Amino acid sequence: MPAGNVSTDEAARRRAAAIDHHPVPLAGGEARGQVPAGARPARNAIIGAAVIGYAWLLGGAAPFSTRALLEVLLPGAVLGAIAYARPPERIPAPESVDMAGSSYWIIAIALLFEWEASAVRDGRPWHPSLTDLINPLIAPHPIKTAAIVVWLLAGWALVRR
Amino acid sequence: MSDRTITVIGFVVIIALLVVLEILARRKIGRIPTLGGWLGFVMRRPAGRALILAGWLWLGWHYFAR
Repeated sequence: MPAGNVSTDEAARRRAAAIDHHPVPLAGGEARGQVPAGARPARNAIIGAAVIGYAWLLGGAAPFSTRALLEVLLPGAVLGAIAYARPPERIPAPESVDMAGSSYWIIAIALLFEWEASAVRDGRPWHPSLTDLINPLIAPHPIKTAAIVVWLLAGWALVRR
Repeated sequence: MSDRTITVIGFVVIIALLVVLEILARRKIGRIPTLGGWLGFVMRRPAGRALILAGWLWLGWHYFAR
């Protein structure tokens, strides 16, 4: 009987609405009772200070040292553990992307790799690689610290994807 | 113009191209996805996720540990 079914469905919907007051279904961090990122300014300030402090520490590590290697690997391990054990609320990935549009990105990134590869293969001062150009720019400790902060934030952004 | 200058200009042009692509994608000109959206699509599969995260870790090692 269609009318009866509609009425039963309506009652079930109302019961569900009474239990769940959220306008949209919860997922990810919110479903586990986590609050939005901007809701705890003190906690965010502490995390921000810790990230900058860590970046300052890593920025001061001697190149090719075990300490520098471990200090790069540690954020990777921490982010990996967070992504696996307690993933944050993720930004929904698109169901599909336009292949023609994506090809622009693929071509541009391939160009960058090709230009870099040719410079690395040449290995001459007059054909520097991107690394040769960037390393002197990020050599000052504060700038290296800022670059590491950007790298850490990029890692966090990837975990949220 | 020296060879070094040409190399530097090449890098600047390619990086500017990447920035222009992102601007076009954000303004929804053409069908270009944003870099974040594109990476998100690639990371839908575990292999893609592992590859992108490994690339991020490699960048950190290359620029900050070496």
